[in-house]
Amino acid sequence: MTALDPHRIVHGSQFGWEPQVLPFDTVPKMFWQRVQELGSATMMRQKDLGIWRAYSWNEVGDLVKEIGAGLVSLGFSSGEVISVLANTSREWVWIDMAAQTMGGVCNGIYPTDAASQVEYLCNDSGSVYLFVENDEQLDKALEVRERVPGLRKIVVIDMEGLSEVNDPQVISLDKLRELGRAFLKTHENLAQERMATRGANDVAILVYTSGTTGRPKGAIITNKNLCAVLSGLSTSLFLGIPERGERVAFLPLCHVAERVIGEMVPIFRRDIINFVENPETVFENLREVQPHVFFAVPRVWEKIYSQVAIGISEADGLQRLAYGWALSTGVQVAQLSLEHKTPGMWLRVRYALARVLVLNNIRRMVGLNRVQLALTGAAPISPELIRWYLALGIPLREGWGMTETTGGGTVSPAHKMRPGSIGVPGPGIEMQIAPVTNEILLRGANVILGYLNQPEKTAETIDDQGWLHTGDVGRVDEEGYFYITDRMKDIIITAGGKNITPSELENDLKFSPYITDAVVIGDKRAYLTVIIMIDQENVEKFAQDHDVPFSNYASLTHAVQIQELIQTEIDRVNKKFARVEQIKKFFLLETQLTAEDEELTPTMKLKRKLVEKKYEDRIAAMYR
Amino acid sequence: MSETTAAQDAQPVLKLLNVESAYGPIKAIRGVSLQVKKGEIATVLGSNGAGKSTILKTISGIIDPRKGSIEFKGQDITAKDPAKIVQWGLSHVPEGREVFPLLSVHDNLVMGAYTRNDRDGVARDMEAVYNYFPILRERTTQDAGLLSGGQQQMLSISRALMANPDLILLDEPSLGLSPKLTKEIFEIVVRINRERGTTILLVEQNANMALNASDYGYVLENGRIVMEDTCDKLREKEDIKEFYLGMKEEGQRAERRWKKKKTWR
Repeated sequence: MTALDPHRIVHGSQFGWEPQVLPFDTVPKMFWQRVQELGSATMMRQKDLGIWRAYSWNEVGDLVKEIGAGLVSLGFSSGEVISVLANTSREWVWIDMAAQTMGGVCNGIYPTDAASQVEYLCNDSGSVYLFVENDEQLDKALEVRERVPGLRKIVVIDMEGLSEVNDPQVISLDKLRELGRAFLKTHENLAQERMATRGANDVAILVYTSGTTGRPKGAIITNKNLCAVLSGLSTSLFLGIPERGERVAFLPLCHVAERVIGEMVPIFRRDIINFVENPETVFENLREVQPHVFFAVPRVWEKIYSQVAIGISEADGLQRLAYGWALSTGVQVAQLSLEHKTPGMWLRVRYALARVLVLNNIRRMVGLNRVQLALTGAAPISPELIRWYLALGIPLREGWGMTETTGGGTVSPAHKMRPGSIGVPGPGIEMQIAPVTNEILLRGANVILGYLNQPEKTAETIDDQGWLHTGDVGRVDEEGYFYITDRMKDIIITAGGKNITPSELENDLKFSPYITDAVVIGDKRAYLTVIIMIDQENVEKFAQDHDVPFSNYASLTHAVQIQELIQTEIDRVNKKFARVEQIKKFFLLETQLTAEDEELTPTMKLKRKLVEKKYEDRIAAMYR
Repeated sequence: MSETTAAQDAQPVLKLLNVESAYGPIKAIRGVSLQVKKGEIATVLGSNGAGKSTILKTISGIIDPRKGSIEFKGQDITAKDPAKIVQWGLSHVPEGREVFPLLSVHDNLVMGAYTRNDRDGVARDMEAVYNYFPILRERTTQDAGLLSGGQQQMLSISRALMANPDLILLDEPSLGLSPKLTKEIFEIVVRINRERGTTILLVEQNANMALNASDYGYVLENGRIVMEDTCDKLREKEDIKEFYLGMKEEGQRAERRWKKKKTWR
């Protein structure tokens, strides 16, 4: 067999993956088809004062109509943009569907964004209405509204503490619905009429990419883009997974991943969306819901793993032995299945026993006992972590996509997974490794129209043959599996001329329960160093168990024993790499960062360039 | 000044290392490490249920810690007999006064000196206490139970002083007192510290008072210390201002209800 061209074009159809023909061409049309079809069945749940409250498709349909009609009664026209500044919640979805049903475009703003960012995003998107979650978000809007002349009204979702507010530009969501109800009395067919004004090539949503440098770019996502992603799901990622499953939504809906996978996909697949109470209760709510399909970013998968690892380290000797035995049995089974081999009779019996006695308890404890599809994406994940989940019998599959591909891209096939690879191109998608640069290129109906107000950036990213230049560098193997080495701009070339892909080292470091995030430094330098953000909870526990005195977070990072602990973790990772690729020095970030801090992306990853700049002095100190 | 600070750095009177205490299965403090230097007033701030009183009870031996160690004047006092700890020079003024209600003021004070046998010293301290709180001299024969709340607090502090301690643990002296009385009591606490050189570890919910009176402060949340610094610096921290001193940035509207997230930096 001759070697295949490493720069050949790989099609999704090569794997028997073909997109479906969909009976709708816009997202709101899909939503209203589901309302017709499913009626009184449950569509979503969210807690009110600690009690789950269910909403049927009909109820949501009525809410969407009222909100949409309310907007129209205020003067909302087809093609206009609204923005939502709120945490992931039922109202977010109602508003999204309402705006799109009425022919509008819906944009999301992170609730952790500062007022100045809210100003920029409202102006750049041309938003005419801004929905805010509560008084806290309202204050941001009020602070900047004078500089956002296009904004007609600010709609407040939760009015608690705002009953005294008497401002002609501020209106509550309840009041808006009231206006909508009155308007619908005279405009019965409003929804149908407005929906008919929009088609496949019209803009559905805007999603801003954070962008580590320069201002945020608004990706223009059309109905065609969204439908392209949906049309490929049932024959690839969701092949063999029953519909009407339970889901948990908690990642920001402003991000393309949760917007598509947590909102559009459940509507498409008739799943039930359960919204978490707040970002702090994710793990608790996960245990309550025990979802059938669960999508999360690597940081969440790492956290679940480290919770279990810490729990086991606290358990008694017998329990630890049982876990060790059960896990190693699971690892053997998982390894065989990755090699497409069937485990022998005796191993099957042992694994069944391990599941019943040990592993199922762990699965229940973390809320993943019913999971049929576990999905990770939006950031690189350590293959070791994937193997751990496979050993538990949780089929954790990796997907790769980006805002510019409407979240679609590659998927790892269910029974032919390759940890370390991002999988193969999804239905309807073509991919290629660019000659010379080895950049991953992608073409398909899911590639966005471009960036709003930034034609030069659009031209830089999407070439005239429709190829999207993803910025990821990688390779493709003989069977069409893609591997990402790193972001093109992140690759380190040391002073010695050695090419290093920092994400490999970083992912291995993050596998440690004591390390939340890491940034490897070394471009044009003599050796590699790393900036580390520790996991507060687990390191505090380590300190307490080993009599390391500490008071606040900073004192923890200064403790000699903690420095040694991290050094041990780095040594463990270093062992896997050649000498020139080993990390020589490190320092720990002294402040506990939150999503509000500029150092973190909304998905809680360290921003490499920003961190490198901000901690210049400390980095320089590591090279003295 | 700077030399004395350096000298004091070397010898903390009280040192807690990774102390953990629990009531049954509930951990009230989950690993507290702190130091009180000789001659200073240190304070532990925290809301209801943060574990402040538990720290003091663990120090004075009323509760035995699950883990960790407590050192007083260089000696390990972890889980030692409370009576012995008093003799070694550590007095505890409990929350809610807890004077002996049916004993006279004088007898209450004598009870405070129960472990001492230097009669002259006791008489001197009795005089000193009456000078700090003249009202107690007036009420010397009255039953302590008939005193007002503020007077009982004075008696409770005085009783602790009667043991001639090197370190006083003071649990919420402002509890249930008027602002005026609180101020008076804090003034005398500071005087006792300055004049007698008694080291004081003060636990308070009234952050403003405590920060003004103390040299060094710790903030306790959910049984763990989240912040420590000199009180001058603590007063300038955003989170202390917002969550402990009730100062808010003026927002867009007059009445702001939402709270920022605590970051403790």
